[in-house]
Amino acid sequence: MTFAALLTKELRLRLRRERTIWVLITYLLVMTLLGFLFISRTNIYNSNSVSTLGLGLYTLLVFVQLFLIMFITPAFTATSINGEKERQTFDLLLCSRLSAFELVAGKLVAGLANALLLIAASIPLFSVVFFFGGVGPAQVFQAMLVFVVTAIVVGTFGLFCSTLLKRPPVSIAIAYMFCVIWVFTPWLLSFLLQLSAPFNGSAQGSYIFLGNPILAMISTFTFGVGPPIGTVSLFGTSLAPWITYTIINLLLTIVLLLLSTWLVKPYPISRLSRLMEKRPRKGKAAATV
Amino acid sequence: MAGLRWTCKAQSLKKKGKMIKIQHVSKSYRRVDALKDLSLEIPQGSIYGLIGPNGAGKTTLIRILAALLIPNAGLVWFDGEEVSKTPALIQRKVGYMPDFFGVYPDLTSVEYLEFYAGIHGIPRKKQASTVNDLLELVDLSSKRDALVETLSRGMKQRLCLARALVHDPEVLLLDEPASGLDPRARVELRELLRTLQSMGKTIIISSHILLELAEMCTDIAIIQGGQLVLAGDVEQVTRRLDGGQHIEIRVLECVPETTEALKEIEGISNVTSENGDVIQAEFIGDDRALHRVLATLITKGIPVVSFAPRSSGGRLEEVFMSITEGSSPT
Repeated sequence: MTFAALLTKELRLRLRRERTIWVLITYLLVMTLLGFLFISRTNIYNSNSVSTLGLGLYTLLVFVQLFLIMFITPAFTATSINGEKERQTFDLLLCSRLSAFELVAGKLVAGLANALLLIAASIPLFSVVFFFGGVGPAQVFQAMLVFVVTAIVVGTFGLFCSTLLKRPPVSIAIAYMFCVIWVFTPWLLSFLLQLSAPFNGSAQGSYIFLGNPILAMISTFTFGVGPPIGTVSLFGTSLAPWITYTIINLLLTIVLLLLSTWLVKPYPISRLSRLMEKRPRKGKAAATV
Repeated sequence: MAGLRWTCKAQSLKKKGKMIKIQHVSKSYRRVDALKDLSLEIPQGSIYGLIGPNGAGKTTLIRILAALLIPNAGLVWFDGEEVSKTPALIQRKVGYMPDFFGVYPDLTSVEYLEFYAGIHGIPRKKQASTVNDLLELVDLSSKRDALVETLSRGMKQRLCLARALVHDPEVLLLDEPASGLDPRARVELRELLRTLQSMGKTIIISSHILLELAEMCTDIAIIQGGQLVLAGDVEQVTRRLDGGQHIEIRVLECVPETTEALKEIEGISNVTSENGDVIQAEFIGDDRALHRVLATLITKGIPVVSFAPRSSGGRLEEVFMSITEGSSPT
């Protein structure tokens, strides 16, 4: 009940803002223009080149969409809690029956709804790819999963920043910094590893990429016969990077969500110390019994 | 307003006991002491005014009562429950209106109240009737579909008051509700608070303007530098602030005898007779003592035509200013 009320209010407010409509229009225009430019600059000679065009267009759209999601989602969630504090409406939420988890989850779902709206609105663009061929439905499904997981983890990190930091501009900046570090650090580390040990890096290097969105997206493409780069073997089962990406980032999301739930209520540190004080007492009581 | 379906608990205005007990509460923000060993008792069904200059600790006290701040020391009891032990339970019984009324400008008045009704756990079926009744109570029915950002300051203030009432709380905590309001809006607010008091609510209201509170409150506490200076019902406090009452007595004759008789009575001072049959005097004491003054005059056979005690409101602010101007607490 309380969660539904918060979600309704958040969606109502977000959809009433002009910014939401302009973001959606700009997003679709960027995707359409890039796709149109790609098609217009490619020469089609035979049926093979048509499917190559389809794959090329799909690749372009997929990576553009991945970066747009990483760029737009933090803006939806990184001001959700400290924005309420700045508007001086946060105390009123604390005085209600909303639990800390409902408050955090409601804000996250509302922020993600915007990102999911963008993903859903781009599906007709992706369907154009099927006219040309070269891409299977399973591949599109895997890419969509990577999009959704990316939106969830970036959105949750944005929310975490908004519970941790007082000022909205700071939390947005930190959320973007996280995105840059998250995406590019594995590639930089891999490059440095290659420089230090050029013939000893393949198995070691693949673990660096666990949870990296770009490699996860690359792994949804099928190149040749063998397993995709970055495939990890776990209990005798080989897991493609998009699967490990999904698992790792959903676990990270849960951790960030729990931390945000703890931080959103007043006095997180004193509550923690009180909790720590209580535990040894329980142990002591049990020992004396 | 009479036809309100909203849960108008027609409780008696008679004070039933102490709703809130504040015992030796202290709160500091880093090196600044906001409250220092403050103790106070707030009667049930009263309109209790917290008055003090800016930075006196009024907002800190209200936030502690709303379980939004934890005091460094001391205890707060709310209807027999300790606030720090059951903050969630207390918050359900309290309607809090902060000094800055944060609103969502893109929502209409109805949507704004429905949202708060929803997060206070009011069932969806009841929300519409609750919101309608509240809008009627604060006289905003005509603005039900207007966006909050289009409302005037006074209207926003009333909407926020309706928001604080959405879950039918027992206690209302209003932090500087009249600040920035024009005289008409202040009168409307005063009337509204009296209506709420008649519904059995205990109202705690803060302000830095003494006369504003003296008009609408039944009890007052003066806070200065985080400490309690003076507390009690409005009459007692104004009398103590005022240094007593001014009595004007008109007699048919026997002016010198009356003057002598008055001088002998305890609590009477500065007896003067400037306009023939009119005698003026300063008096310190409660109503019983005042009655004794009149009874003494009648017993002595003085022909009293009129006996008019009054407190000089004009001086009240000056005395308050001198009390709260770096003085030590009493």
